[in-house]
Amino acid sequence: MSGTFHQWVDEFQDQAWTLARYLLKDPSEAEDACQEAFVKLWHKQDSIDPDKIRPWLMKVTRNGCLDRLRRRRPTEELQEWHQPDVSSGPMQGLDQEEQGAWLKATINGLKEPYRSLVVLRDVQEYSYEEVGAALELSLSQVKTYLHRARKQLREQLAEVRP
Amino acid sequence: MNRDDKTLDAQIEAMMQELSIEKAPASLSARLHRIPEEESRKERKTGQRRPWFGNGSFLRWAPALAAVPVLIAVVLLTQPRQPSPAEVELARQQVALAFAYLDKVGHRTGDEIQSVLGAELRHSVKSPLSEHMPFTKQSLKEEST
Repeated sequence: MSGTFHQWVDEFQDQAWTLARYLLKDPSEAEDACQEAFVKLWHKQDSIDPDKIRPWLMKVTRNGCLDRLRRRRPTEELQEWHQPDVSSGPMQGLDQEEQGAWLKATINGLKEPYRSLVVLRDVQEYSYEEVGAALELSLSQVKTYLHRARKQLREQLAEVRP
Repeated sequence: MNRDDKTLDAQIEAMMQELSIEKAPASLSARLHRIPEEESRKERKTGQRRPWFGNGSFLRWAPALAAVPVLIAVVLLTQPRQPSPAEVELARQQVALAFAYLDKVGHRTGDEIQSVLGAELRHSVKSPLSEHMPFTKQSLKEEST
């Protein structure tokens, strides 16, 4: 039983970590959120369909992160979402790595569920079905919200593009 | 989606390639791999501290334990009570008196029937009920002595 669990840790820890880092800026808090999700997985492993471990784990990780965001004071959250970052200023002259950093900061600025949608679908390349299962959304909702999220990213990019 | 949007999308797509899944830090990986050991230890501790409640055994046995005194009370209350000898004697006397009264009524009824229907029918009605109850006969004798 613990052997399988260790396999799951190896397989999914990076994905859970990436999602938690996009949702929570503080690395230690992101670690705590990941650990909580895996503790829940340990206790529920017998009742979860092995084929659905990944979306289940992402759902629990995301819910844990959102709970942490809700517990914070609204001003803190606002500061986090609108932190000054590399997204300000024209993109001309930025190399690929810096452009990636700009995009990451812009994704971080999206509201939920757009942020999680973009992270799971575009960064982690989950299928629409898996994204729907992780975010508890229907397939049509996933597509609609993803369309809106990308529209917001386009608008942000249009503002900074030379 | 217009042409400009498509260009922007392509640009975003290209930038997305720069975003890869981040590697979890070693500290997190170590924490996650310790979960089975730590959680099992916690479960064992909880089980030792509350042996009755830990695995739900108390809750399983509680209804059965509560039923035992109720069962004992029901058995005690429903057991038949043995009458005392005095009560038995009183009951016999009362039955004897009742049959004596019935005999008297039978005789009178027989007389009335005889006057209307004849002697044969009278005999069957008049024969004392106490003849079929030996213990009442004995009681009547005892009363008369």
